[in-house]
Amino acid sequence: MISFLFFSIRRAWQGFWRNALMSLAATATMVLMLLLLAGFFIIQTGLLAALDFTEQKVEVVADIFDNAQPSQIEELRQRVLSLPEVAEVTFVSRDEALARFRERLKEQGEEDLSKALDSNPLHASLEVKLVTPEVFGDVVGMLREERIVEKVKEQQKLVDELLTVTNVLRTAGTVLLVVVGIIALFIIVNTIRLAVFARADEIEIMRLVGASDAFIRWPFVFEGAFVGFLGAVLTLVVLALAAEPINGFMLEFFQVLPIEVGSMTRGLVTLVMGTGVGLGIVGSWVSVRTYLIR
Amino acid sequence: MLHDVTKRYPNGKIALRDVDLVIPEGDFVFLVGPSGAGKSTLIKLLIRDEIATRGDVVLDGQDLARLPRRQVPRMRRKIGIIFQDFKLLPTKTVWENVAFALEVTGYPRRGIRPAVDQVLAIVGLSAQAKQTPNQLSGGEQQRTAIARALVHDPRLIIADEPTGNLDPLISWEILQLLLRINELGVTVLMATHNAEVVTALRKRVVALEEGRIIRDEVGGAYHRED
Repeated sequence: MISFLFFSIRRAWQGFWRNALMSLAATATMVLMLLLLAGFFIIQTGLLAALDFTEQKVEVVADIFDNAQPSQIEELRQRVLSLPEVAEVTFVSRDEALARFRERLKEQGEEDLSKALDSNPLHASLEVKLVTPEVFGDVVGMLREERIVEKVKEQQKLVDELLTVTNVLRTAGTVLLVVVGIIALFIIVNTIRLAVFARADEIEIMRLVGASDAFIRWPFVFEGAFVGFLGAVLTLVVLALAAEPINGFMLEFFQVLPIEVGSMTRGLVTLVMGTGVGLGIVGSWVSVRTYLIR
Repeated sequence: MLHDVTKRYPNGKIALRDVDLVIPEGDFVFLVGPSGAGKSTLIKLLIRDEIATRGDVVLDGQDLARLPRRQVPRMRRKIGIIFQDFKLLPTKTVWENVAFALEVTGYPRRGIRPAVDQVLAIVGLSAQAKQTPNQLSGGEQQRTAIARALVHDPRLIIADEPTGNLDPLISWEILQLLLRINELGVTVLMATHNAEVVTALRKRVVALEEGRIIRDEVGGAYHRED
């Protein structure tokens, strides 16, 4: 078993270098396709993050009557929080609301006219962050029923439109990624087929001298895996080199977005490695099979 | 041994009809006949590249149609096959081409060198061991192929037009080599168009025409002699 493994790996290594031109062509194709795939993966990740970010902005704001007791408000807050679709409920008191209002005016450089007022015109409110914006309507309906709620700010139409747009973008992004993935798959598998086809004679001789299927197949499978591995490593090197200049521009654009660079990198490495090695193996397996079924 | 064998290809063409042929161990048999007579099909049946539509092909006591697919490679190692176009790997040296047959069949690594050296000595190519096929003459290439066929120590050598690409003098050389191998006890079945060689050697001749055996005589010539 061990010697068979050594045999296969040694033959795979020889096969790769003795047919260097074909192997390098397959590797180059692999790199190009993986780069394409990785590019779309990065765009897709960015897009999804942007959509999540946008959707997180959706919140339900319920104004509270000024005469509501703190205990009533706290009781409502707990009740809303216990709903499964609610992520977070913040109570904003009247004073806080005024402070925020002033803060915002200052940011915009406007003169603070509220100082001229002798009383605070703003209401206290509950700000409800949702797990998914789809349940927006339900939460609004529930809050409207409450006695201490004066009014719920009406944003339903805006939210619906936003959801339509984000869902379309999400679907389109996924479809595009899948399509690119399939194209990459076909091109890579086909290139490997060509590389195997160029060695049909070798396979025929092996069959005629009485080599078992395993002895014919596994060296090719290892070779395919090696091409995939090499392609994936080269792709990641290119991506790493490109990351520096791209990052500068991306960070500015993406800094507001909740992208975890660490997890995206992990995802990218997994995707590139998995696709490369996986397709190398599958491609070789399928290609050699054509010659073995008789 | 073939018993009552018919082979019909999927396209409807019948390549062999009711062929009965027994080749005893140690025989030297010429298989002659025009192109398309069924010589190649007969060979393919013997190496189980094809399976008979009807009838039995029995090799060394084994019915090839009943042989499980996994056993086919092991069976093929009992047969050495030689082709008109040599089928050598151009990127490998003579030595490596012969060793290849052992490597890919899982032969113990330590045994490879002596086995290859021995068969190269038999075919007289020890000096050319490190050359690649394109540095060799046609006769030397065919001798390499014969060495490769011999390296598994086969019971049967099947030669499909082994002299088809060679000039007459070299053809005789190859024939001498096959005869010597036969003298060592290996059965030889040689399909050929080479009338001169067949007639001169007076070995057993099996003639095929349109898928049937029309003649099977010991000590025969290439053409019928009446």
